[in-house]
Amino acid sequence: MNHQPFETWLLEDKNLSPAEKRELDLHLRTCSHCTALTETGLALRSAPVVRPAAGFTLRFQQRLAAQKIAERRRRLWGMIVLLVSGTGLLGWLLAPYIFAVASAPVEWVTAGVGYFLFVLTSLQAFTEVIAVLLRMATDFIPPYVWMVLLSATAGLGLLWTISIWQFSRTPQGVTA
Amino acid sequence: MNEEQAWALEAQQGSDEAFTKLVETYQTPVFNLCYRMLGEPELAEDAAQETFLRAYQHLHRYDQKRPFATWLLSIAAHYCIDKLRRRKFSMFSMDEEDEEGNTFELADPDSPNPEAESIKGQTRTRIQSMLKDLDDTDRAAIIMRYWYDYSEIEIAESLRLTVSAVKSRLHRARKELAGMWQEEETRAHAERRTYESPAF
Repeated sequence: MNHQPFETWLLEDKNLSPAEKRELDLHLRTCSHCTALTETGLALRSAPVVRPAAGFTLRFQQRLAAQKIAERRRRLWGMIVLLVSGTGLLGWLLAPYIFAVASAPVEWVTAGVGYFLFVLTSLQAFTEVIAVLLRMATDFIPPYVWMVLLSATAGLGLLWTISIWQFSRTPQGVTA
Repeated sequence: MNEEQAWALEAQQGSDEAFTKLVETYQTPVFNLCYRMLGEPELAEDAAQETFLRAYQHLHRYDQKRPFATWLLSIAAHYCIDKLRRRKFSMFSMDEEDEEGNTFELADPDSPNPEAESIKGQTRTRIQSMLKDLDDTDRAAIIMRYWYDYSEIEIAESLRLTVSAVKSRLHRARKELAGMWQEEETRAHAERRTYESPAF
């Protein structure tokens, strides 16, 4: 038999029959490559499992605690930076208006009150229009159409909830 | 569900105590993998700690259907491979470091057969020094195969490779190790002949 099958047996850690073992032993007497494969295989299998120094768990707990503190500190600084930069940006954007109000306060207060009253009356008019339309709709649309509309809305709501639930599920597998 | 998976589930729900139990259970396999990958106890300690830290941070990604050990060792292997790549990138060779890692491998002089123990110790040291000459991913595959008895499928899952890629990597690594072994044997034989007295 040539060299190849013996090498394959050794590489695949094949369980050998007594006859195959005898053949391999004969081959090993003449093949230094297969002898080296056998010896490295034995050396790999007999290599011990190395243990960490005592107190590994305690050291991990200390490291985890330090990591948590650092993370909390990082978050706090992030919030402070965000708050300060947000306030700065808002101040920069509002600066022209603040200066304008400060230079002519009466005109600005009058304009503000006028705008507020305009919004209030528009809102009132809008609610009245909606109320009239609803009254008209209840007379025109038959009850079964209302039922269909309500069922469709409920179905869409359910679909939306399921989609959100599906997307918000935690991802599986190893990506660490 | 076995005990480890129950702890993993509790840890996923926020129990630090359950995670501590997992650290206690898996510290040796994780440390051993890191040591075999990196070759130094200090680096292995750091890598093992980092592995558990990453596992803690990404615990929500652990799939209960898989064994926890496979998931954890996969994190450790990837961390070590990344670390080795970064070291190669910064032109920092393992060969330049000291060999203190071998202290774990020293033979026990009080053992019943010190000579046999010494030979065993030499073989282990030799295997460790040969491992570091392998490609990083090949080394991880060899460690998972021979220290953890992982199947080719488990190695493929852990290292994100195909089963055929794992098979070819294992074969290549075994052949490389055998080649190195042969070279060392030849060198040792030559040295012995040099120091032998011509009178004999």
